[in-house]
Parts: sequence; structure tokens; C-alpha cells
Amino acid sequence: MKVGLNLIEASELLAKNEVSSTELTKIYLDNIKKGEKLNCYNTVSSEEALKEAEDSDKRRKEEKSRSRFDGIPIGIKDLFCTKNIKTTASSKILSNFVPTYESTVSQNCINAGLISLGKLNCDEFAMGSTNKTSHFGSVINPWKSSNSDAHLVPGGSSGGSAAAVAADLCIASLGTDTGGSIRQPASFTGTVGLKPTYGRVSRWGIVAFASSLDQAGPITKTVEDAAALFEIISGHDSKDSTSSIKQKENFYDNLNSSVKGMKIGIPKEFKSDDLPNSTQKAWDDCKKLLQENGAELIDISLPHTMDALPTYYIIAPAEASSNLARYDGVKYGIRENGKNLIDMYEETRSTGFGDEVKRRILIGTYVLSSGYYDAYYIKAQKVRSLIKSDYNEAFKKVDAILTPSTPSTAFEIDNEPKDPVQTYLNDIFTVPVNLAGIPAISIPFANDENNLPIGLQLITNSFEEQKLLNIAKNVQDTINYTPNLDKWWIK
Amino acid sequence: MEFDKDSLLKLGKLSKIKIDEDKLSSLSTDLGSILKFIDRLQSIETDNVDPTSNSLDQSLVMRDDIASDENSAKEILENAPEKELDFFSVPKVIE
Repeated sequence: MKVGLNLIEASELLAKNEVSSTELTKIYLDNIKKGEKLNCYNTVSSEEALKEAEDSDKRRKEEKSRSRFDGIPIGIKDLFCTKNIKTTASSKILSNFVPTYESTVSQNCINAGLISLGKLNCDEFAMGSTNKTSHFGSVINPWKSSNSDAHLVPGGSSGGSAAAVAADLCIASLGTDTGGSIRQPASFTGTVGLKPTYGRVSRWGIVAFASSLDQAGPITKTVEDAAALFEIISGHDSKDSTSSIKQKENFYDNLNSSVKGMKIGIPKEFKSDDLPNSTQKAWDDCKKLLQENGAELIDISLPHTMDALPTYYIIAPAEASSNLARYDGVKYGIRENGKNLIDMYEETRSTGFGDEVKRRILIGTYVLSSGYYDAYYIKAQKVRSLIKSDYNEAFKKVDAILTPSTPSTAFEIDNEPKDPVQTYLNDIFTVPVNLAGIPAISIPFANDENNLPIGLQLITNSFEEQKLLNIAKNVQDTINYTPNLDKWWIK
Repeated sequence: MEFDKDSLLKLGKLSKIKIDEDKLSSLSTDLGSILKFIDRLQSIETDNVDPTSNSLDQSLVMRDDIASDENSAKEILENAPEKELDFFSVPKVIE
């Protein structure tokens, strides 16, 4: 059997009875074991997965499959609450937390018959773009530079989700994206990452980071897989008050890769002399490709692009400081003893949170504190309106916007800058999309001179994921990017 | 942008995060750098702009008021570090 199956190929093999769900699940559990070095999984639920696979095979035999994807093994970011399976958010403070309920997104996957292989490593509480803030250690990018043996970051925060798909430790995975946490790791690992419109996918049962920005989405090998998995997880959920009431769409069946007559915007603010030549070239090549396939390129301006990152670093920490107030050693998670109640809170939180999470809680508390609330928090919300309106204006002229996904390709794990602000710059191209609440996708386009994948980002207006996926498919089908990944970790 | 020791300790108190003496200096540098970065917004003209708290153009949806038996006290308490009877248990508050 071909290694490195995608969701669609696996569903075809299952339909033809060429493989059973049990066989498929065993292959991937074996891959996970061989790939332990990559540290992609916080928890592997082998027993549960094999039991589910057996049930799926039985359903298929009785022609009672839940969907065409019934029996396909996937991985789930350790931020989605999964009933009776440990859910840690890669934090020490939740290291013993076993939810008694299932998140809507993972329940939707169960309803489609998908099988969870386990919980994928991520940055602690999804705060980071390197996966280095995880309490359980860094995920290692399966890609290596052709001129160095050093380990590279997989990106973050959904680093485990992206690395696991790239390394065939699952067929597809679920991630979350608050400021780029799906698209940036997808870009660093040669995978496809979709951040849906805010409200498309239920946030219920996902450990909250910044509630007005958080959105779950798929990380996959192909655009078709992204459409299929997105279709499975999306839809209205009465348990999430910000869930959109729009009807679920058949994103996979409706894929149509024509871009004839479409207008593609190229924002001048994303151009930079600091952009590596190979990324600039990939961006230019993609523009040319879309033009050749019948699209029209239009120069546009998104004047507040550079204001997005400081806006994000007020709003996200503010919401995080409020959301993370619940971790107090009383209701769940670890408790450290203290002299009295307040002391117990302080001891628990100081021991349980890592440095980056503490920094963000402190900054969030600062911008929300009396005397600074208007100057920082309200100000940032106003700039957020300006950013949103930039995109509204742009989408009056264009169907989609094309940019690079990240300002660089994957970098060395030991080479992270000391100043946190330098690390924040990784998300400079992805953050505006979350503030505007619109959908975007990162697709692999080419490799750089060191054989590392370069991702490009497509952005459309709210609820236009179908158009987004269609354009992404056009690009994918034209370039036919095949990841030439050397599986060094198996040797 | 300076972040002096006293305001940092006060912030720690507000956030219920103990800040170790040996981390004060590096944390002050980090937060100072972040503050300088976010301070950039002060120069943007926003006089006639309404704040956006949420990007979804939809009013809050109410769900039907139907009782459900999810999340029972017994289940919720399974994750409590300490419990007594049907309650979370915490260190004594009143001396």
C-alpha cells in the first residue's frame, strides 16, 4: 500500500475493501511509535483507537458507515476536550485533566466515523509560533535543511498537528488558529492549513485562548482533504453563542478549480525587502500562474497591515488573561499548597503556567487594568475596526488576496531570538485575518534553496471558504507540489 | 518604556502570579519590549471609530430553554484537586 495516504485516498481504499480501518489504524499507530523522536503526540490513545476501528469495520460490513470517511485515523490538537482522554493544552496546570465531555468539533468527527489516534502537542494554551512553549517539550519539524543537521521548529501553535500530517503520523489533523496557529505551521511543514471564518466552526469544548479570535480548522495533505474535513467539523452549534447560523455547505463536492475571471488582490503592504528571495519568487510565480489560468491581478492596499500585530498583542493577551483566570487549583488541574487561599492560587498559577503564558497574562492584566483600559484595550478594538474595514474595502474590488504565509521558512529550534517581540513577528502575515474574522488558507507552493517548504496564503471575504478552496485547488493542481521529505527519524 | 519593579509586583498580585526575585529583571525587560511594541497604536487616529469586540455580523442567538442532564456535579467534581461531599474544597478563608 502507498505510504502517506491522504483522506480521499484512504476513503477510496476503504470503500473498495482494499484496507480495513483496523489495518489502517495499526499502520498509523506503528508510524507514531517510529516517529516518537518528533514528539508530535502528548497522548496516544491506541486502545481506544483500535476499538473504534473495529466498530467502524463492523459498520462498513453492515453498510451502516457514518460517512465515506468512516474509519480514517486522524490526530487532534491537545486543545480540544475529548471525553475520558487527557486534555492538557500542553500545560503543566492541566497535565492531569480528563474531560468528562467531548468538544463539538471532535464530536462531529466521531459522528462522521473518524478515529482519533491521540492528542497532538502544541504551544502551551496555543500561545506561540514555535511549539517551544509546550510543557511536554518541542515538536521537531520532520523537515531538515539540506545544508544542516539541526532540528527545526514545526511552527506553532498547532505544531504537532502539522508535523504529524507531514510525517504520516496521522492522515489529517485538527488545529486551532488564533493568530496564525494553523497556517504558519502548515507553511513550515509543507501541509495545507485552513483557518475558517470566525463562527463557522464551534468553539465549544476547545480550551479558550482569545475567544474573539480562536477558530478551529483542518491541517491536511491536500486542498480536497481540507474541504472534506472542514465540511465535517463546521456548522451551527447552539452551545457556542458566537456560532454562525449559516447553513452547512458541501465544500468537498462543490470543489471547482476554475479561476477564470477572478480578481486576485496583491496588497502592497505585504511587500518587504526583508522577505527571503525564494519566498518572493514563490509569491511572484503564483501570481503568474493565476494570471495564466485566467485570473486578473489587482494591486490593492490594506493600509493598517502593520498595525495588526500590536493590536493583536493587546486583544489576545487581554482575552487570555480573562480566560485563564479559571485555572486556580480549585476546579480542575493541579493544585500547589499555600498558606491560605490567595497563596494557594498564586503558588498553583506560578508553578502551573510557563513563561510565555505568564507574560501574556501579565500584559493582558495590564492593558485591562484601570487607567489603561481605554488607552490600550479600547484603542486596540478601534484599530481592529480599521483593519476589518481595510479588508471590507478590498473585497469590493477583488475575489481573493494572495500573500506569503510567513516571513521565513522553518528555523532552528535553538535559534529563537531572546526578545519575545521578535518571535511575535512570525505571525505578521497571518494575524490581520484573525482580527478581521475572515477565512484564509496556507498551501505549500515550492521549496526554498535549503529544501524547506514555502507556504502561500489565500484570503477571501467572510463565509467565502468555497471560493478560497477552489482557488487553492487551482494552484495546487497546476504546480503539483510533492513533498520530497526524507524520513530521517525512522533510520 | 520602563517597567519598574513595584508595578511588576503589583501586576503579579492582580494576576495571582508570584514573580520570583531572580526573574524580575528579565521579565521587566520582556514586558517593556512588548509595551513599547504595542504603544505604536497610540499614534493612530481613531476619533470617530467604533470598537470591534467580535467580527461576526450576527446578533447573539438564544437557544431553546430545554433542560439537559449534561455535566452533573458528580462528573464535574471528578477533576477537582480536593473535594468534600458535593463541593470543591479550598484552604480556610475566614480565620
